[in-house]
Amino acid sequence: MTSMTRRYVLKMGVLTAAATAATQAGGPWLARAQAKQLVVCSWGGAYQEAQRKTMFQPFEKETGIKIVEASPTDYGKLKAMVQSGNVEWDLVDVGDLNVIAGAKDNLLEPLDYQMIDTKSVFPQVVHKYGIGTIYYSTILAYSTKKYAKGDHPKSWAQFWDVKKFPGPRTMRNNPLDNLEFALLADDVAIDKVYPMDVDRAFRSMDRIKPHVNVWWTTGAQPAQLLADGEVELATSWNGRIFAIQKQGARAGLEWNQGKLQWDSWVIPRGSKNRDGAMKFIAWSTQPKPQAAIANEIPYGPVNQKAFEFIGAQAAKDMPTAPDNARRQLMVDPVWWGENRNVLVERWNAWLLK
Amino acid sequence: MRRLGWTNGLLLLPALAWLGVLFVYPIGRLFYTSLFTPAFSLRHYAKILGTPVYAKVFANTFEISVTVTLLALVLGYPLAFLLAAAGRRASGLMLAAIILPLWTSVLVRTYAWMVLLGRRGIVNEGLQSLGVLDAPLPLLYNRLGVTIGMVHVLLPFMVLPIYSVMKGIDVELLRAAQNLGANRRQAFLRVYLPLSLPGLVTGVLLVFVTALGFFVTPALLGGRGDMMIAMLIDTQISQLLDWGLGSALAVVLFAVTAGILLVVQRFTSAERMWVRVP
Repeated sequence: MTSMTRRYVLKMGVLTAAATAATQAGGPWLARAQAKQLVVCSWGGAYQEAQRKTMFQPFEKETGIKIVEASPTDYGKLKAMVQSGNVEWDLVDVGDLNVIAGAKDNLLEPLDYQMIDTKSVFPQVVHKYGIGTIYYSTILAYSTKKYAKGDHPKSWAQFWDVKKFPGPRTMRNNPLDNLEFALLADDVAIDKVYPMDVDRAFRSMDRIKPHVNVWWTTGAQPAQLLADGEVELATSWNGRIFAIQKQGARAGLEWNQGKLQWDSWVIPRGSKNRDGAMKFIAWSTQPKPQAAIANEIPYGPVNQKAFEFIGAQAAKDMPTAPDNARRQLMVDPVWWGENRNVLVERWNAWLLK
Repeated sequence: MRRLGWTNGLLLLPALAWLGVLFVYPIGRLFYTSLFTPAFSLRHYAKILGTPVYAKVFANTFEISVTVTLLALVLGYPLAFLLAAAGRRASGLMLAAIILPLWTSVLVRTYAWMVLLGRRGIVNEGLQSLGVLDAPLPLLYNRLGVTIGMVHVLLPFMVLPIYSVMKGIDVELLRAAQNLGANRRQAFLRVYLPLSLPGLVTGVLLVFVTALGFFVTPALLGGRGDMMIAMLIDTQISQLLDWGLGSALAVVLFAVTAGILLVVQRFTSAERMWVRVP
């Protein structure tokens, strides 16, 4: 290479590095100088907007503790912060699996249950290192343009039945959810799904694989694909379908055989405002804030008493509404915690085959 | 070459420090993490070697990157030539058209392709309403979609270095060659092409190396067979938190890429035989 070209390459490299550094600087630590603030990291989008309106702002007003928001949740970043001792987040909204994984990796502070009233909180979301924020579901979603409500597939066996229910499909590019659905499609009873017969699940996945046009990687995709008419059947998180329905998209969702899961609040080990984080957790887990967020976005409250403050229509759209919850599968985060890494590898190999 | 005096060496210091902190140190940490998680062992590397899926994904990654680089070259070289030959206003306009997309996020550009190429996208709907097609073409969620999206994102990295070199080539040389009996093809192949080679090599390297690390575009426009290595590294680092394996994958990618660059560099130093650098 001539020296001219080499210089050019070098220059481009440095430019890129500089741009990256510039975008990474100026994070929450800029605002960190003020005392007593609480840095909360969540998933962004409509969900974090709802949290802001129904939780962050009212909490700020009530306690005077200023909340600084960050997003999106990134487990790699969380781990890097704890390991480098530079913990920028005081409170993080994570998926149920990551409470267990985080505890195992010693990344989290134990919660102080002296401070939290858990009397009416669903016991399954109460963990030494995290407590539920909301419930959500992965459900079967469909285009109402193609399938009139009532004539749509109502189980995974029907989702798998491409003769009776033709049309392009999308599923998540992840063994999570899909392996459970594959077993349900193969007529495994809903209470016998865990511990999973993984070989059977992959055999069942073999049957649907040629009919899946898109393997989605981000939560926005399945809703987008349905709204665009790119696919007619999908697996999706329930809130996303609700969001596009509100925008007028012709999409519907089926609660039957959905998979109920939850998000949790965790406090990274070494948080600079552990006390404030605990106060927020104690406050936000109570019935009224739980009802407020559920009225705003159709994710289910983790506090049973919240239903007393939720409108009748909103209650029907909750993943945890008794009528909806009864027909769904409840995730087993412990099983996944033990098997996930191996299954992701197997999933990738299976996908490439 | 004249030896650098120590004052000139001092001028290098800030850049070296910068590279040291932001490049050498992180790469060192990467090596360390790949070997010492949790304690010294080669098990992450053994796993990569022993699990066919990683070899397959590496093969994918290189296949896609080579295709994208070649296409970007085929499209970019004539474009750069046009740019260099055009008048000031026309070339200014064209340059703006090439550079402006660089300021848009890759994510936005990738989503734009979904709108264009989807089953119900503009291309398919248009061709169907014209009666050219009966059923939509599968333009997305396969290798074609990934290739189109990546070439689009990477094209400026091909055009700009080639253009910057071409700009410095004296077009009179072509006329002189023809004057001395070369036909147009010979004049191009024996005079212009060798002179533009440094730009071409830079463009090819930039596009190829950047393509190797691509993540967003294949994840969103690809199908199940288009997994690239950066996607697997991301899964290991930020979802499964297996930093040992993630780092080992990154080290392998880094080593293979560095190897390729070294070979190319050795190979292309031959250009000095053709190009007399003034």
